[in-house]
Amino acid sequence: MKNPVLDEKQLIAQEKLNNPSFMRTIWREIKHDKMALGSLILLIIILSTAYLSPLFIDNAALTRVNFLNTWKPPSATNWLGTDDGGRDVFGQLMLGARNSFTIGIAVTVLAGLIGLTYGLISGFYGGAIDNVMMRILEFLMVLPTLMFIIVFVTIVPNYNVFTFILIMSAFYWFGKARLIRSRALQERELDYINASKTLGTPSWKIMFFEMFPNLSSLVIVNMTLSLAGNIGIETGLTFLGFGLPAGTPSLGTLISFARNPDIVQNKWWVWLPAALLILVMMLCINYVGQAVKRASDARQRLA
Amino acid sequence: MSLLTVNDLKVHYPIRGGFFRKVVDHVRAVDGISFELQPGETYGLVGESGCGKTTSGRALIGLNKATSGEMLFEGKDLAKMGKAERRGYTKDIQMIFQDPYSSLNGRKNVLSIIAEPLRNFERLSPKEELLRVQELVARVGLNPESIYKYPHQFSGGQRQRIGIARALALNPKLIIADEPVSALDVSVQAQVLNFMQEIQKEFDLTYLFISHDLGIIQHMCDRIGIMYRGRFVEEGTASEIYNNPQHVYTKRLIAAIPEMNPEKRFEKMHLRQSINEEYQTEYNNYFDKDGRMFDLKKISDSHSVAMQ
Amino acid sequence: MLKFILRRTLLMIPQLILLSLIIFMLAKAMPGDAVTGAFMGNPDATPEQIEKIREKFGLNDPWYQQYGRWIGKAVKGDFGQSYTHQQPVTTLIAGRVENTVLLSLFTAIMIYLMAIPLGIIAGRWTDTWADKMIVTYNYFAFATPLFVFALLMLFLFSFVLGWFPIGGTVDIRIETGTWDYVVSRAKHLFLPVMSAALIGTYATIQYLRNDIIDQKIKDYVKTARAKGVPEGKVYTRHILRNSLLPIAAFLGYEITGLIGGSIFIESIFSYQGLGQLFLQSINLRDFTVVTALVMIFGTATIVGTLLSDIILSIVDPRIRIE
Repeated sequence: MKNPVLDEKQLIAQEKLNNPSFMRTIWREIKHDKMALGSLILLIIILSTAYLSPLFIDNAALTRVNFLNTWKPPSATNWLGTDDGGRDVFGQLMLGARNSFTIGIAVTVLAGLIGLTYGLISGFYGGAIDNVMMRILEFLMVLPTLMFIIVFVTIVPNYNVFTFILIMSAFYWFGKARLIRSRALQERELDYINASKTLGTPSWKIMFFEMFPNLSSLVIVNMTLSLAGNIGIETGLTFLGFGLPAGTPSLGTLISFARNPDIVQNKWWVWLPAALLILVMMLCINYVGQAVKRASDARQRLA
Repeated sequence: MSLLTVNDLKVHYPIRGGFFRKVVDHVRAVDGISFELQPGETYGLVGESGCGKTTSGRALIGLNKATSGEMLFEGKDLAKMGKAERRGYTKDIQMIFQDPYSSLNGRKNVLSIIAEPLRNFERLSPKEELLRVQELVARVGLNPESIYKYPHQFSGGQRQRIGIARALALNPKLIIADEPVSALDVSVQAQVLNFMQEIQKEFDLTYLFISHDLGIIQHMCDRIGIMYRGRFVEEGTASEIYNNPQHVYTKRLIAAIPEMNPEKRFEKMHLRQSINEEYQTEYNNYFDKDGRMFDLKKISDSHSVAMQ
Repeated sequence: MLKFILRRTLLMIPQLILLSLIIFMLAKAMPGDAVTGAFMGNPDATPEQIEKIREKFGLNDPWYQQYGRWIGKAVKGDFGQSYTHQQPVTTLIAGRVENTVLLSLFTAIMIYLMAIPLGIIAGRWTDTWADKMIVTYNYFAFATPLFVFALLMLFLFSFVLGWFPIGGTVDIRIETGTWDYVVSRAKHLFLPVMSAALIGTYATIQYLRNDIIDQKIKDYVKTARAKGVPEGKVYTRHILRNSLLPIAAFLGYEITGLIGGSIFIESIFSYQGLGQLFLQSINLRDFTVVTALVMIFGTATIVGTLLSDIILSIVDPRIRIE
């Protein structure tokens, strides 16, 4: 051993190659599925356009009302026409996609964290604790979620984007908690958990550093699929008028123009592109999600 | 002074039934066992599956809660300790698990698996930790370069050695070995067992060796306790149990060891038949009217039997 | 068996109490109450007058007394007065409930009518072109948000093609009770029902396909084949009997989805149901109606889940062991 430090690094690097991480497995699975690869590329194009658009489009102009320019159909200057305030629809579409996606991610992560913690605690301890926590969860799951969110959105004081994310997250972790809990219940019977207990590792460490890594692929699969769902719910709520506040346009804001029959029929350029964009994004995320799901289960893999 | 004294240990599980899920009865997994472990010895717990030997081991290390009874470790009762106090004894009592596949976390490499107890109890710099782990890995006969590998890259015997290295990391006094080799190939079993005897001398360990395999128990243990339905039926030194079994259950167990010599097979068969006759005729000597074993009675200094 | 049903039913009682408590607290948090509502049209009312009426309505009592009164009335079907419509909430809801029930009922029927045959075909003839088409369709159904799909349906079939009315429940010019009335109802119902149903098939198809694929390789099916049971009968007599039974039980669980869906569907198709009433009331801040609706929908989901649990426990004895 001339240079032990370098040797260590080499060893670690070599073992990384021998033990492909879940991310690598996902990537291999996506590469082998043409549709998933296409979806991923399309999604990346859409999102990078949306997130990079502030470099090309003046955001201030997007919010400026120009009454001389209202309801213009698509043209060379306004690719997708203008809305009731003469604002450029294409620019708003990009802004909306950005907001919707960001909020979708935020809700997915936050709800995922709540569900993960709840499920891990319930499954790890089992017994009476699990029993009580599951009764509570059962109750929460029978609540008419959508109505509660709408009510909360209306009565919460100082309503803004963050309160909206909190409200949505508060209602969309139940399924995850149940999923994680049932896997954690199986996992706690395995001896590596018992071993950690006999080695004096504190319970919270066992939950998050021993048990969680073994559930991580399940969590990733679930998060990918629920990301699509959460974007759908956010845009839906915004469409109804109970989603993002007016200052933060989402794709749902554009679609909500379609609540007026005249606009549905005669000014399709305002709402139709947003509706189609949501559809395309949902399909892409779900396709990638399905590939991720297959990657998590060796029997289903195509690659 | 004995290292560990178990007095009338009981582990009962409630059976709930009826509309209000009241406790109707108990499963008596361990129903009043007592034994002592001398420092440096290997004590064997033998019995058929479901007799409570594993539950006893798990109660001793704290994975199951003891319903009643005493577990005196160096004179202090583990059963009465709170969580924090008990944690102090984690270093002294360690466990080797039965299944080398599920007892190692597949998501962690050997380094983090073996370092887990060190990280809990000793503040070491990464460098010191690495050295300790390499030392332990070398001691259990694995290549020190393999510490960045993951459990699935090892064979069953190697995995069990990793498990042993992990148990040794804190220099324990007592190791509870719960069927440590029954999941391994027969060819590897002897290797691991001999290795366990080696380190016993080297680290001055006391073993509580749980197994259903009488051959292994004979090979490993100084003293043996035979368990049946949560209770001891016989306790004694290895030679007493194997050469002079007193309880009919022990006799049946010993008689059930397969005979390698074909010429002696008939003899063995007759022996089994006679034991079976004894079981039929003298049942009342060994079991009371509820089918429960009697308390142990000393028949010599080291040998006791549960007989009337 | 009976014990499970009884225990499960008893579990519903704390759920209902908890639901009503939460809704009551929400109602308290909502701006405005029965009195502010009553004085909406009367800006001249003095604070003393309002205070007097508050006292009369018991709004100054401790919360548990108010809750007791509220729940006592609610059980009898009295949810108070809607100030925007100036009529009892119960009358208001009764006028709309039929529309939503019809919408949900037909949606559920359509879901099963489409999903069961498709699920069976996909499960029985796995990896054929038919299966691949069904799986693709199902994938779209899973990924598409309901409101986007409903809007596109409305745009295409009502606005572009003009095959269906663009909204409403029934043509108001037609007299009730006539045949034309029924036809008009059906025409107004068709598009909302289809929008919800085409998307709603996902869970049932997925379940049925997977279950049939699982059952196909079970030993009892192999035994049946080995005995010489014709392939068709293997499915009708053996596999489907096991796979279809739980489907019936899922109906109760679907209620949550149908309620959530009805809010979107009724809003998009201007369909005069409870979902639309809910949105209108919350926009007009008519919170007596809102609380009543949340309570009704909440109770419906709780009862639906109860029914599903019970049916499932009859169909599949394994889940009874808890």
